[in-house]
Amino acid sequence: MATLPAFFTTLPLFKRAGVARPETGGRSAEISAQRDPFQLRSLPQDQVFFFSKKIDNSRLVRQADPQAKSACWSAIGVASIAVAALACVLVPGAMTTSSGYRLESLRAEERRLMDERRALDLQEAELLSPERLDRLARAQNMVTPKSDQVYHLEGKPDSAVAMVKP
Amino acid sequence: MVERRLLVIAGVLAVWSGAVVAKLSSLQLLHHHEYAQKARAKQEVVRPVPAPRGTIYDRTGQALAMSLPSASVTVNPGKLPNIAVAADLLERVLHMGNSGLADKLKQAAEKGRGYFVVKHSISPEEAASVRALPIDGIEIENHSQRKYPKGILASHVLGGVDFSEHGNAGVEKSMDELLHGEPGQELLLTDVKRRGIESHQATEPKPGTPITLTIDERLQFVAERELAAAVADRHASTGSVVVMDPATGDVLALASYPTFDPNDAPTSKDEAARANHATGVPFEPGSCFKVITLTAALETTALKPESLIDCGVGPVTLFGHSLHEAHTYFGLISMAQVLIHSSNIGAARVGLRVGQDNMYQYVRRFGFGQFTGIPLPGESRGKVRKLTRWTPASVPSVSIGQEVSVTTLQLAQAMCVIANGGLLVKPRLILREGNQTIPVAQPVRIIKPETAFTMRKIMEGVVMPGGTGYPEARLAGYSAAGKTGSAQIYDTVEKRYTHFYNGSFAGMAPLTNPRVVVVASLNGTHGDNGYGGRAAAPIFHAVTMEALRLFEVPHDLPDDPGSTAIAAAAAPVNDLSVADNSAGPNILLDGDDDDSAAGPPGPATGARVPNFRGMTMRDVLAAAQSKGLTVLPDGSGIARMQDPPAGAILHQGERIRVRFSR
Repeated sequence: MATLPAFFTTLPLFKRAGVARPETGGRSAEISAQRDPFQLRSLPQDQVFFFSKKIDNSRLVRQADPQAKSACWSAIGVASIAVAALACVLVPGAMTTSSGYRLESLRAEERRLMDERRALDLQEAELLSPERLDRLARAQNMVTPKSDQVYHLEGKPDSAVAMVKP
Repeated sequence: MVERRLLVIAGVLAVWSGAVVAKLSSLQLLHHHEYAQKARAKQEVVRPVPAPRGTIYDRTGQALAMSLPSASVTVNPGKLPNIAVAADLLERVLHMGNSGLADKLKQAAEKGRGYFVVKHSISPEEAASVRALPIDGIEIENHSQRKYPKGILASHVLGGVDFSEHGNAGVEKSMDELLHGEPGQELLLTDVKRRGIESHQATEPKPGTPITLTIDERLQFVAERELAAAVADRHASTGSVVVMDPATGDVLALASYPTFDPNDAPTSKDEAARANHATGVPFEPGSCFKVITLTAALETTALKPESLIDCGVGPVTLFGHSLHEAHTYFGLISMAQVLIHSSNIGAARVGLRVGQDNMYQYVRRFGFGQFTGIPLPGESRGKVRKLTRWTPASVPSVSIGQEVSVTTLQLAQAMCVIANGGLLVKPRLILREGNQTIPVAQPVRIIKPETAFTMRKIMEGVVMPGGTGYPEARLAGYSAAGKTGSAQIYDTVEKRYTHFYNGSFAGMAPLTNPRVVVVASLNGTHGDNGYGGRAAAPIFHAVTMEALRLFEVPHDLPDDPGSTAIAAAAAPVNDLSVADNSAGPNILLDGDDDDSAAGPPGPATGARVPNFRGMTMRDVLAAAQSKGLTVLPDGSGIARMQDPPAGAILHQGERIRVRFSR
């Protein structure tokens, strides 16, 4: 039996109860007389009818949907715009953070270089200490020049009051 | 049915969506500020922005004092998990050797101390090594450290700073407000790894203003070198040198001995070395003050350089006080000769002609008894008694540089008046504050230009043959002028004059247009070599020659190498302002708010000088020999005068000069 309800309708109990058979009342003769050419032979005691149709679609030619292309491009465009919008929102933040890293590292480098410069200035001042220069000069057997022994070849300092001797 | 189910599902979805939207709204709208603050609190770090203390330069742009960033390692002994292990690691990393750090940390922990400095001024490599130690309780503190790259150079001018980089002496103290920087604060946004992303300054840092001094480090070095050598050579106790530009008042060098290294922390042992003898320790100037006496005479009396002054042939008693020369009595000489030969009697007589009121007025005009205004703490204004306290004997005393106390800087300021044609210029120590040049203070005319020029001509005689400053103060190739001073030091303990001297020389060069004024003073010299002409004049010579060479001042005289040689066999310098111990309370004992008094305490007691007056030469020599004393006789006949005087304490190696006459 194809279906359980159909099974029950065949039982004498249901027959005496007057349960009408679905769709089998007065129309069965008409259906039998006008047998569908596609209807398959029914199974016994079964109210299920199968139809078999062979559909030949070979003559069908698939045609392109004129709106599909535009819809596709539209979807692509919308997606691109969405991505671009997302990028416009996210990328500047990322670039800012990246630039912030770079900037802070440059500032730290600047501080380090300034500290290094101060240390070098101190070192230079220590090396130019008059006591050290005097000690080095004496070690090299140098003596203090007399005032008339110093000649300036390139102009003269502002503090000089004498003409530069040729 | 289906529609009901769909409605139910839609309803559930709607409720769920509503809840999500509500929560999002609550987080992003209602509580946005609160959560944003919490996030920033976690991400933001407050970082101090250092503001280094201003650098101090000399006039040539050389750095004399500067601050460098420094780091120190500190620990909280209570937080260390294992003190012994931590101490051992720290000693290795900081290259401290076996310093007993573990014991010190244990003691600190037992006392409940939460802070202990392990090492100051660590290197960047050491700091990195300490940071890598996985031990709690160890911190690295960043701060600034003051460095003085030239060591002891100009130490009394610069002074020093304390642990918080606030000045505690010298220019560091007087200009502390300008030099001291105020650190700022920076807010740093960090990521999860504490790397900085963004920063902005919450508080602007205020860096210290750099200061340029008028000091020339080259001249300062020469002054300090010559001063140290002279103190050692003459067995003095202290000394000072001041070099000034008479036109502007610029202090080109200011040296004091003994000295100290400002890089070292002050201790109780170097307290004496930190005293600035050039500005803070006054002394009786002695014969140098005769310049003021003669200047006042030229201005207020009819006396001229050629006016004859009776200097007597022996001791003179004026107003109950005995006044005598150091060695020779000059009789009748010109006023110029009074200065050249440094006659005490002559100067006293000139002073009496000037009179008490004029004398006081000119002493004050020259700036004595007043602050010079130099920006160095602890400056003494010296002492000049109020006119109401002058006695009749005060005028002759002040005329020869006693009963008045001055500082070396005040003497230099006074000499500048003679050098620049009569204008009192204020000593200037600060040349620039930042980029702003400090203008020269308006000078005040106190004497006539012709008086100043006349005095210069007279003072030139001091460095010429026959003068008390010859040959030590004579300069090769340059004309010079000056005055020696040899004042006996007053012992404030024994309340009497000793035979130790303040040997001074105040001079200028060249004569026609002096470029520099140099004043040198040695304290605690003795004997013939302790007089100003022998002790201080060589300092003047060396420093002035170097100054004239540095400033490229052209020669105005031919070179005369022979004159610069120190004549070992030269006659004793007759320059001593001989004091009278019976002259009443010494000015150095005067009470004052400035309690700086000159003079070291006397040496250990020795033999007393006997009284040879009235004895023949034979008797004098016999008496001296019997006592084991050395006598230098001068002249013949009867002993009239002796030095040291009778009753004075004789020091080891000291000889007694006895003058005989018929």
